[in-house]
Amino acid sequence: MTGAAAPPPPAAPVVPAAPTPPRPAAQGDVAIAGDRGRTIRRAIAYVLLVSYALLMLVPFAWQVITSFKTDRDALRLTVIPDPFTLQGWEKGFLTLDPSIPQLFFNSVIVAAGVTISNLVLASMAGYAFARLRFPGREILFLAILGTLMIPDQLRFVPVYLIERQLGLITREPQNYLGVVLVLAIEAQQLFLMRQYFLSIPRDLEEAAKIDGAGFFTTFLRVMLPLAGPALAAVSILAFQGAWNGFFWPLLILQDQGHWTLPLGLFQFTQEFLSFWPALMSVTIAAILPILVIYLFFQRYFVASVAASGVKG
Amino acid sequence: MTAGTASRGVRGERRAEMLTGYALVAIPLLLYATLFFGAMLYAAYISLWRWGLRGPRNFLGFGNYEDILSDPIFWKAVTNTIYYVAIWVPLTMALGLFLAVIVNQKLRGQTFFRAAFYFPTLASSAAITVVWLFLLQPDGLFNGIRGAIGLNPVFEALGFPPNHNWLGSSRTAMNSIIILNAWTTSGTVMLFYLTFLQTIGKEVYEAAAIDGAGAWQTFRRITFPLLRPAHFFVGTLLLIGGLKLFDQAIIAGGRGGEPNNSLTTIVLFIYRAAITDNEFGFAAAVGLVLFVLIFTLTLIQRRLFGQEPSW
Repeated sequence: MTGAAAPPPPAAPVVPAAPTPPRPAAQGDVAIAGDRGRTIRRAIAYVLLVSYALLMLVPFAWQVITSFKTDRDALRLTVIPDPFTLQGWEKGFLTLDPSIPQLFFNSVIVAAGVTISNLVLASMAGYAFARLRFPGREILFLAILGTLMIPDQLRFVPVYLIERQLGLITREPQNYLGVVLVLAIEAQQLFLMRQYFLSIPRDLEEAAKIDGAGFFTTFLRVMLPLAGPALAAVSILAFQGAWNGFFWPLLILQDQGHWTLPLGLFQFTQEFLSFWPALMSVTIAAILPILVIYLFFQRYFVASVAASGVKG
Repeated sequence: MTAGTASRGVRGERRAEMLTGYALVAIPLLLYATLFFGAMLYAAYISLWRWGLRGPRNFLGFGNYEDILSDPIFWKAVTNTIYYVAIWVPLTMALGLFLAVIVNQKLRGQTFFRAAFYFPTLASSAAITVVWLFLLQPDGLFNGIRGAIGLNPVFEALGFPPNHNWLGSSRTAMNSIIILNAWTTSGTVMLFYLTFLQTIGKEVYEAAAIDGAGAWQTFRRITFPLLRPAHFFVGTLLLIGGLKLFDQAIIAGGRGGEPNNSLTTIVLFIYRAAITDNEFGFAAAVGLVLFVLIFTLTLIQRRLFGQEPSW
């Protein structure tokens, strides 16, 4: 949760359009004037696009450059670190407490826990809601749908108290479980799985049934192997959300040995705002894994925009 | 096989289906029942009490709600949040629409631009806010660049010295967060607008071209009005998201929403009431007030854009 988990938008699959060749020019005088107008418009468009892209990318480039500077050099506006140094990274890996590896490890534990539990629970419940008939199915499904309207910011006070009573707000390792539990089954992942199972033709299940397979076996052996793309989307969405999450870790993770990367960054900014290169190295550690996943699985991210709304 | 065993077989199968169904949804239902619905009731209950982790608990009735109304910091938080939403939502919509219209022209490198604009959305709010803190600090890149390109006289005329501390001054802290979030969210808004733009038929534009309408005319008279559903959709989405502003505010302004509560939002106010001040009952009451606000807006949104998400 990044501060603004918004309700999902309507069904508009966002597919990156391939660049199409320019349309053949129309004929006549009007077309010539139109072409010149179009060329100028295109030039302006490119200038605007490139500047905005720079605006998007320069801060990140600056972050990488700064991480290789000394603390004093970090305040100078030079593009090439002088001297080039690994001090910032060294500090991030060795001096900061918790260090980058420790924060990274905690982020992996939390994000992996959330991803695995969403995969297991969303696929099981998604299958049940899509295919199995049991009394109360529709009303239960609607109730789960309704949870999308309950913002985390409302439920955090009682959830915090409940988890305290469960002994999860603690300095012991079950503290991680406290974060995983809150995000263990996200309604949007359940919907995603349900919709996908609904789209699979029934013939295959019928065949399994004739072979004498039970409902659970059919789910495990027939339906789950067919749900690869949906499982991939759920993994990526859940992982990114948990990896970037700030609110719940801030609330629940008590011991600094349990802090995730975003939480570590928050605490560091409250203490040592002058160690910019070290701080930048931590931000890079926080962003890099998601960036790598993005580069490999771009299409799922684009679909996720349609599914998960806006960050705030 | 007789008819009797066959019907028992069918009944047995129905039973198995039902039991499997309940078994598969059991854990999610348990979690939703406790951490959502149970939590809501729990919040409503303790909102009627003075309720802390330590110290005495006594029944206050609607005392907490009355305290909310007379708390000046609460009103400060409400004002800040409304100010944020009032500027951030239209700004982000305008930026996103602008980008979408440009990217929607068949340009080379479209894929690159989309990816670049979407890039800040990938990063965690914490990482991106820390980068923003670094860029906007007195000796930071932003002040450096405006000096280097000779904009300092302009800024000085507006009352900002060359080393202005953007996030450290109560005059500019919230505006800096607004720009930060407009910057990170504009890419997502662009993608929303693009999907809507692609549903507008070519014929409409061809007709406009035949009538000799210029680019601006076409945008103002045709594209913008046709995007009405998109404006409503993106607008409510951002509005609801904006009311929940928290991460950037607490990272830039600390738990106190510094400087001088200028970054104290409603959610930060709730967080502080519970975690810092041990006033869980009061915090739950503020949470319910926020919920009623968001719930109303969500209902309006659902009413306008269909009931169920389907994708």
